[in-house]
This record gives sequence, structure tokens and C-alpha cells, in this order.
Amino acid sequence: MTSLSVLVQHGRYSEAWSQLLDESKTVSDHAQFLALVRQRDRLAKTAPRPPAPRTVRLALLGGATTETLEGPLALAIEATGLGCEIRRGQYNAFAQEILDPDSPLLASPLDVAVLLVTPANIPTWPEPGDDLARVQQIVDEVCGYWVDLCKRLHERAGCEVVLNNFHPLPTRPMGTAGTRLPWDRNNFLRRLNVALGDRLPPYLHLNDVDALAARHGLFRWFDERYWYHAKQPVSFECLVPFVRSVARIVGALFGVTGKCLVVDLDNTLWGGVVGDDGYEGIVIGEGDPVGEAFKTFQEYLFRLKQRGVLLAVASKNDENNALSVFANRPEMVLKREDFVAFKANWEPKPLNLRAIAAELNIGLNSLVFVDDNPVERDQVRQALPEVAVVELTTDPADYPRLLDEAGLFEITTLSGEDQQRSQQYEQNVRREALRQSVGDYRAYLGTLEQKAVLAPFEDRYLDRITQLVNKSNQFNLTTLRLTRSEVEARMQDLGRVCVYVRLADRFGDNGLISVVCGVREDTRLVIDEWLMSCRVLSRGVEQLVCNHLADRARAWGLASIEGLYRPTAKNALVREHYAGLGFTLVEQSADGTTRWSLDIARFEPFDTPIQLVKDY
Amino acid sequence: MADKNQIWIGLTRVFQDVFDDPGLTVTPTTTAHDVEGWDSLMHIQLLVAAEAAFGVRFNTGEVAALKNVGEMVDLIARRLDGGRAS
Repeated sequence: MTSLSVLVQHGRYSEAWSQLLDESKTVSDHAQFLALVRQRDRLAKTAPRPPAPRTVRLALLGGATTETLEGPLALAIEATGLGCEIRRGQYNAFAQEILDPDSPLLASPLDVAVLLVTPANIPTWPEPGDDLARVQQIVDEVCGYWVDLCKRLHERAGCEVVLNNFHPLPTRPMGTAGTRLPWDRNNFLRRLNVALGDRLPPYLHLNDVDALAARHGLFRWFDERYWYHAKQPVSFECLVPFVRSVARIVGALFGVTGKCLVVDLDNTLWGGVVGDDGYEGIVIGEGDPVGEAFKTFQEYLFRLKQRGVLLAVASKNDENNALSVFANRPEMVLKREDFVAFKANWEPKPLNLRAIAAELNIGLNSLVFVDDNPVERDQVRQALPEVAVVELTTDPADYPRLLDEAGLFEITTLSGEDQQRSQQYEQNVRREALRQSVGDYRAYLGTLEQKAVLAPFEDRYLDRITQLVNKSNQFNLTTLRLTRSEVEARMQDLGRVCVYVRLADRFGDNGLISVVCGVREDTRLVIDEWLMSCRVLSRGVEQLVCNHLADRARAWGLASIEGLYRPTAKNALVREHYAGLGFTLVEQSADGTTRWSLDIARFEPFDTPIQLVKDY
Repeated sequence: MADKNQIWIGLTRVFQDVFDDPGLTVTPTTTAHDVEGWDSLMHIQLLVAAEAAFGVRFNTGEVAALKNVGEMVDLIARRLDGGRAS
């Protein structure tokens, strides 16, 4: 690897940036991380950071010092692939900054506000002797105080808000008796943490500092000396896990998160090599310590699958050998059906990873790769830098924790769609089988018995719509990312058309798969957001939406629909989208952006193989 | 007895790392005023880095009382010899 200073000397700035950001993903030592923060600042003075898909405007407010956190947080966010501009509030001035209508901190638009609080900011504590009812009342008051402040912050700045919960106090003056006293301060903090989680509105996200401090050890997490000196809320030693946790939440809010976990088999999912040892010889399940470790790892992967992470296999194996383990070892927690793609062959792993991404219609940067073999990991890192590769030890007992610590599948809310996703991909495999048997594509679409709901945005789907807006890359005409608050504002804007599409067919529900927004400008309906899940490509949804937009334009007495295509690295798929719908090209900019127009008077509605329904 | 020369070499490296300036030199009488960017937060970063580099721990009072780099070297030497704060 060429050193950063050499890259800078030779003016290879974009390489310097990507090397710096790559390095910052793996460094865990705080001193090394702070050194990278300083290098980042210096590099930024010489060469601006290469453009990111979205720059997050973030305000950092705190009941503690936020000065030392600003640089590290910016670097941690940039390491996720997002750009970042941070504004910092004054020490312990968060209440004024939120409530003062002239507060400069909130004067210009914001995407995210991070409100950092510590037990020292808790306005009321229980008095010794307070009974459970009184303590519960104080919990409600304190909880209401924070949630209300965050609500004002959200309403004023129209932003997502990240608050944190509280780590325990480092002393226990009541000893073990504290566990039975509701007014004990640590007992109170436990109740407060749970109550905060129970009362989170959709725009408020809780950084689980309680869990982070437990993971790293409270005595390491919090260093009293630097609290007394500088009101430092987290020790330097634990600065990195703290900022990474915030960065992951921010990343998840803007769609930077893994979708599919690709695992190797031999010595990754089970102990041993099935090709050598046979299915009867591999180690998995109770009765063997190593078998238990692999079983625990499979259980962890199964939980990821249940919450919407897609699982896939890439293994150098004879396919029949690989499948024999699933067929003949009942101790296997994961079954063949749990995987949406299964590549057991002798091709290089990067090739299989590419094939998996193509099959599932997702970007390579949505893949996370887990393999016990460091050579395979290195090969994937070299060939496919977009794929996140998890560094493992040689002990399977470490696997669940290492994958979990990498935090590559962060989510801040769980939608119904997430839990059904894996099933939907399986159904797609069956649809594909039917398509191959039917032959004629139009005839095939007819046999699918498709039903769709096309309706204006609704509160209950805002989470899913926001998720789709921030995650879709390929079938996405403008790649205009929006926060939940922005989506909500659009929903309420009467000058806009904002619709979603849900699609079902005889194999099951595809869920909410398309989002389109248009705004009325003079005599035109200008479409600034049109995206769709690639799972339902070429099923007639595009034409269905186009018919609807034409109806709306006509009802408003408009003359035309104007469509915009803004090219990115990933959306070449829809370059000719508007041409395919009969729009004419009216303008092409130097950056490849194209503008298209459809004359309403001359538009003939498409005949689509989809039945429109109120609900299904 | 701790070797103060070794401490000087180690502490100079700490300063160079923290200030990200490989050419930075310090003398016993160097104070925060003499080094650009040596503010109160940098002071803490320096002490945290020095604690890690020498495997010692400074008391709360010592963190505030240090007046120059020479005192820092003396403090580290005392700590390495097992001494308490003065």
C-alpha cells in the first residue's frame, strides 16, 4: 500500500481519500483513529473530498463537550460513504439552542440533529424513599422532557433526531439493596432507558449508549478525570465505538446499510470440509464445543434473516456435497430454503458475488462477505472494493460477535416489509421458473394474476417509502434521497402528486415496490422522484404509473408531464425509461442529465397486465 | 531510576504524533503557548497519548498542574519509578 503522504505528494487525491476512509473503517485504536482525523483535516485543506451520493447536514448538541467528537464523528460518517457537514452547539446550551427562535445553530436546513446527553443532564432524580408510583411518575416526566425537546428540534429543523440513553452510574452506594429500591439511581436509569425506547416517535432514534458501555466496560467507557477536566462524555479509549455507533444510525437513515450476507460454508457455517469429511464428518450442533459455536453463529444469521437480511452462499464446493449437509444433518439451524442464492462451485468468489448481486438485482455495495479463509477475503477485497468484507479470527466462537460488531446491517426501525423480504425473493425464484415454462412474456404476465394498489402516500407507509427512497439505486430516475420528515412534508403538499404502488400476484405479496412524486409547475407535471424495486421490473408497473400520472395531469388541466433522468453510477438501467413510455427528449445536459416531455392531449393509456384494486 | 533520555525520546514522538508534525521538537521549557494548536483539548489528548505510550496513569490534579514539557517528563519518570503525585 502506498502511504498517504506519497499519494498526496503525487496529487493522487481521490486515491488518498479512499485509502484514508478505508483505513478509518478498520482502525479500533483511538490514537490511530485521531491521527486519521488529523490527516483527514489536512487532506481536506489540499483536496476536497470526492463527491458523495448525499451530504448529511448534522448538528451536534450536547450536555457535554462535543468539541472532541466533531472530527471523529465526521470521519466515521464519511467512512460509511456519505458526505458530512457538522455544526456544533455550545457546551450544555442545548435547551436554549432548541427553544430560542433565533438560534443560529438551527437557522439553516439540517438533516440530522444529534443530542448528546449524560446522567448529569437529568433534571429530576427520585428522592430517597420514593415509592414505585412516584418513581414511575418521575420517569414519565424526565422521559417527556427529552422527547419533547427532541420533538421541538424535529419540528423546527425538519430533521431526524438522534438521542442517546444512559449508561449506569459507576458507583452503587445502596449496594445490593439498590436492586429492590425503586428510587435507587441505577434502578431509576434502567426504567428511564426502557421508557425512552417505548416513547420514540418515528423521527427519533436512540443511540444505545447503555449497551455500548456494557460491551466495552463502564470503567473504560467513562473516565471521571476527563469529565472533571473537560466534561468529556466518553473516554478517549471508547471514542471510536461511540462515533461509529452514531455514524451507523446516520448511515441507516440515509440508506447506507447491507442488504445481503454472503457466507462461505466449510469452516464458516460448520466445522470441517464436506468434500473431504463427508456430511457425516462435519462438526455442527450440540455435543461438541466447536459444533456449538457454529450452531450459535447459524442462529445469529437466522435472526438476521428474520429481520430482513438476505442470506446467500458462495462456497468452493461441489454443489451436491454442499447440499448433502443441508439434507442430512438435522442439527443445521439454517436450511437450504433460508438462502436466496446458492453458489457452490469452483469459480472465483468475486465472480460468484457478482452473480449473486445480479440475480438479486442489488448493488455490490449492498453485499457483506463472510469467509473463514483470509485468502478468499483478500481476493474479494482486491477485486470488489465495494463489498464489505468482515474480518474473522480463526475461532468460530468469535464469529457472531465480530459480524455484529462490524455493524453492517444497522436499521433504526423495523418495517413489515423487512420481515417478509426473504420470502419475496424466494417467490421471485418461483416466478422465474414459471416464466421460463410459459415462454411468451405477455402470456406469462397474464398468468401471474397481478393486482396493484396505487394510492397517495399514507402515514402507515412513511417508513417503507422513506426506506425505498433511500435504498433504491438502479431503477431510480433522479436518486433524490429524502428523510422521513421530507417525505411527510411532500405528502401534505397539495401541489404535489405523491403515490406509492403495492403489487401482489399469485405467488404472494411483493409489498410496496414503487414511489413516484411530481410537482405542478405552470402547465406541467414535473416528476422529480420515480423509483421502483428491481424485483418487479418489466411487470407493467411503470405503464400503470404512467397512466395514473396522465390522469392526474389531465384532471389538473395540465398540458404535459415532464420527466427527469439524472445519471449515477448505478441507474443506467433506466436511461431510456421515459423513451420507453413514449416521452420525447427535450434537453440533454453536459453531465448526462436528460429532460423528457409527454404531451397529455396525445397520450393513449397503456394496457397493463395488472388489475387495479382498492386493497388486497 | 527511569531513564529520562528514553522518556524524552518517547514523549517527543507522542507530541509529533498528536500534532501530526514529524518535525516538531520540544524542550523542557516548552509550554502550551509555544506550540500552535496546543489548547486545553489537545492537552488532554497529549496526556491520554502519553499515558498509553508509557503505561502510566496521571491523577486528576496532575493533569491540570503541568506547566511545561519538563514537568511532564518528571511526572512520567516519577510514575515509572512507582512514585505518587507530589
